[in-house]
Amino acid sequence: MKSQNERKRTFLLIAVPILLLFFCFNTLPLLRGFMYSFTNFRGYGKFDWVGWRNYADLFTDTRVGNSYWFTFKLALVATILINILSLIMALALNAKIRFKSFLRGMYFIPNILGALVVGYIFSYIFTYILPAITHAASMLADKNWAWIAIVIVCAWQSIAMNTLIYISGLQTVPEDVYEAASLDGATGWNRFRYITFPLIMPFFTINMVLCMKNNLMVFDQIMALTKGGPAQSTESISFLIYNNGMSGGQFGFQSANAVIFFIVIVIISVLQLRFLNKREEQL
Amino acid sequence: MRRILTFSLLIVIFSASFAWAAPIEIELVQYKQEALKIFEQLADKFNATHDNIKLKASSPSEAITILKTRFIREKYPDIIGIGGDVEFSNFLDAELLADVSSYKGLSKIKPAYINIIEGLEFVPTPGTYGVPYMANAAGILYNRDMFNEHGWKIPESWPEFIKLCEDIKAAGIRPLYFGYKDTWTTLAPWNALAVDLAPADICQQVNMGKATFTQAYREIAEKTYALLQYGEEGPFAYGYNDACTAFARGESAMFTIGSYAVPQILSVNPNMNIDSFVMPGSDDPNGQTLNSGVDLMFCVMENSPNKEAAYEVLDFLLEPENIQIYIDAQNAVPCSEGEFKLAPMLDGMRKYITAGKMADYQDHHYPSEMSVSAIIQTFLINGNVDEFLAKFDRDWIRYNRDIITKVQNYNASH
Amino acid sequence: MENITVKEKFNWPVTILLLLGLFTVLFPLYMTVVIAFKQPSEMTNDVIGLLSFPASWSFDNFREAMRVTDFWRSLFNSFLITAVTMVISIAIHSLMGYAVSRNMTNSRFYRFSYYYIVSGMFVPFAILMMPLVKQTAQLHIDNVFGVIVLYVVFYMPMNVLLYAGYLKNIPIALEEAAHVDGASTWTTYWKIIFPLMWPMHATVAVLTALGTWNDVMTPLVIMSGSGMNTLPLAQLTFQTQFGTNYNLAFASYLLALLPMLIFYLVAQKQIINGVINGAVK
Repeated sequence: MKSQNERKRTFLLIAVPILLLFFCFNTLPLLRGFMYSFTNFRGYGKFDWVGWRNYADLFTDTRVGNSYWFTFKLALVATILINILSLIMALALNAKIRFKSFLRGMYFIPNILGALVVGYIFSYIFTYILPAITHAASMLADKNWAWIAIVIVCAWQSIAMNTLIYISGLQTVPEDVYEAASLDGATGWNRFRYITFPLIMPFFTINMVLCMKNNLMVFDQIMALTKGGPAQSTESISFLIYNNGMSGGQFGFQSANAVIFFIVIVIISVLQLRFLNKREEQL
Repeated sequence: MRRILTFSLLIVIFSASFAWAAPIEIELVQYKQEALKIFEQLADKFNATHDNIKLKASSPSEAITILKTRFIREKYPDIIGIGGDVEFSNFLDAELLADVSSYKGLSKIKPAYINIIEGLEFVPTPGTYGVPYMANAAGILYNRDMFNEHGWKIPESWPEFIKLCEDIKAAGIRPLYFGYKDTWTTLAPWNALAVDLAPADICQQVNMGKATFTQAYREIAEKTYALLQYGEEGPFAYGYNDACTAFARGESAMFTIGSYAVPQILSVNPNMNIDSFVMPGSDDPNGQTLNSGVDLMFCVMENSPNKEAAYEVLDFLLEPENIQIYIDAQNAVPCSEGEFKLAPMLDGMRKYITAGKMADYQDHHYPSEMSVSAIIQTFLINGNVDEFLAKFDRDWIRYNRDIITKVQNYNASH
Repeated sequence: MENITVKEKFNWPVTILLLLGLFTVLFPLYMTVVIAFKQPSEMTNDVIGLLSFPASWSFDNFREAMRVTDFWRSLFNSFLITAVTMVISIAIHSLMGYAVSRNMTNSRFYRFSYYYIVSGMFVPFAILMMPLVKQTAQLHIDNVFGVIVLYVVFYMPMNVLLYAGYLKNIPIALEEAAHVDGASTWTTYWKIIFPLMWPMHATVAVLTALGTWNDVMTPLVIMSGSGMNTLPLAQLTFQTQFGTNYNLAFASYLLALLPMLIFYLVAQKQIINGVINGAVK
């Protein structure tokens, strides 16, 4: 009983200061941002209170509506693609392969390259190299295809990170489990389906949530590749919030957009977490 | 912070009461990062000749973002160097800038440029809030050697321009390059045509409810669209950088862009012989106007405690010798009266510059969050003029609501 | 695991597939390297022209890029910020992950804390930026220290998520045994749990370091004017409003990439070795 209390006290002593720190530099500014969403604040200088006007505008703004559609379409496709590919990559890089360190290192490079480089290189590939091979017009100039180009670049850049997380997940699978499994004759797909995957399920959850979040907040790739074009077909929500709120004079309105966006992603992620956590328990 | 300020102020006052006065520090933050070296050079020169004032000049990357964050922190510089665009209108509207009408150096500035910055005020505000320093000019850059070789003449009117484009095309050369993937590039021909075809104060007129863009912008929209056939195929695939490279490599005879693009073009082809001419948007040869705006102006901050010292710095910067240093390095157009040696790529525009026959970029009045460049890009892809103009009017009201209210209140009370 | 590897054969089909797939990385990397060695006057708009070798393999661009960015000093600043952020993050976030994951099933407070922190990940930075600028200025931490504090808070959601997930696979029985021996929770954590999490520490280190290493926005808005430059801030010099020197920029980006790559490879070793150490204990 005494040790139970000691344990509780220690946990509280850890959690409370950290929560306070987090509150001060995340929640507090968020609350201020929430306050600004009821103003026509430009980000500096004086401002007026405008009540619910920004929120009313938000739901009638077709540009915001389109950005939601684009962002969710992109995030869904990219998340699935990235997770499948990085799981395969992780299994491959974790297998008994030659040049392991070299291969792991090389496949990590896309994640380190800066946005300027990635933007330039991929613009070049889409504008000059691919059309030369396929004899079709550039994907980036076609409003029906530009989003696919962005999915490709997002995947190219972020597979490394998700692979890394899967690899560290695979380290928690004890070797004797595999040995036992191979004694039972489980190999290949079955071994993955019934043994490996359930064991790394918590990492699948983490990757789904992180990946979904990164893709929903896509910004760098858009700035680097299309700047929202062609014909405003690739304006993501973060792109609008940053460009119109920070660089433009719409800070108040975009704060309202950010608040709604935040609520939407939290709901999605919590649902995702709950669903996946339940699955973890079942497995 | 306040304590430190008071403290340093005390030191200043204390030391000023003695003969060995510590110099007043004037901080200048300007946004043209490419002019970093010139400002370092000018600051050194200033400090070598002035004992009473120490000039600290900086030209950071992302200067506008940095300035905004400094305003939030209330750590104001004394002088800011910004462009004559909507950012200036916003800073002015936020009451951050000081009235410099008492500054004597203003008399040396060309009235056309003072008018341009006065035109940027949301509502007419008594006083002058900036000292225009440098201007840039936009229109059409052309490959002078290529023109000489084929004997092409600079067009004076829209029909002549179209004829020229046809001639160039007939010679097997691409007349124009656009680079419309970066949406902002669509504004280059747009602005250059607008000075010829729309009233300079059209945005104010719309704000007052006296005009609509549907009427004022139709011809501009149609002519911008008409140019597409003379440019590269699929212009929405290529960006500004591609266009600069292509023009530098002789892939087109002309490039619809401003003088600001010249350094980037020359970096690819240092020996290129570039000249420019005014976009002949009007059908009447006498109806052309140069598209020129204030590229760099100095504003004294309202909170600066040392306005007189700031004026002294401005006096120094406006000395003809120092203006010439800037022009030589940046191919800029000075806003001051007087004889200056202009860069050769401005030859074709010189007579408009000397005559002061110019008007500001329309987009300096557009709020950036409205993303007019993206709307124009959409129109150029779809080609539907009516839809575009209707959207322009609709969005304008949506994005300028507070300013329109302000203008109308002002008109009601004046 | 490693000693088993030695005895077994390499999986050649997978190795070959991975080597083939490497094309997707090597091709863009090749372009980056070639551009970094070229002069602006060698830039063209056609495929052959771009993929061709530079006129000379001179390191002038690299030298010039290092001079313009004040490389060693900027590198030191970036290194300092990244290293301190990383160490603090590993210490604090793993503790929080531990507290949360061990109590989540039976305490509503910790379950709430978990969702509260994790949801902080979804706040768009743009909305926080202006308020944070004001707040750090008021607290007089609009400097390196403030930037580090902000990073520690920014990466908390992701790292707590990672640690809490990892701890699910570490059986609680280990701690209970230590408790029976009379060790306090605090000691148990540092003696038993913390060392067991090496693979996750290495992962967190890589992800946190990468995020801070490449970040421009936070130092730009928080410590602008303090006269201190990080590498990404210094690299902004290559992009001006109407012109970008891609050749110098690419050279500079390649230089900035190397330390991270080396760090990643070292951390990768930790991810593997960590398991062995943990298993031995």
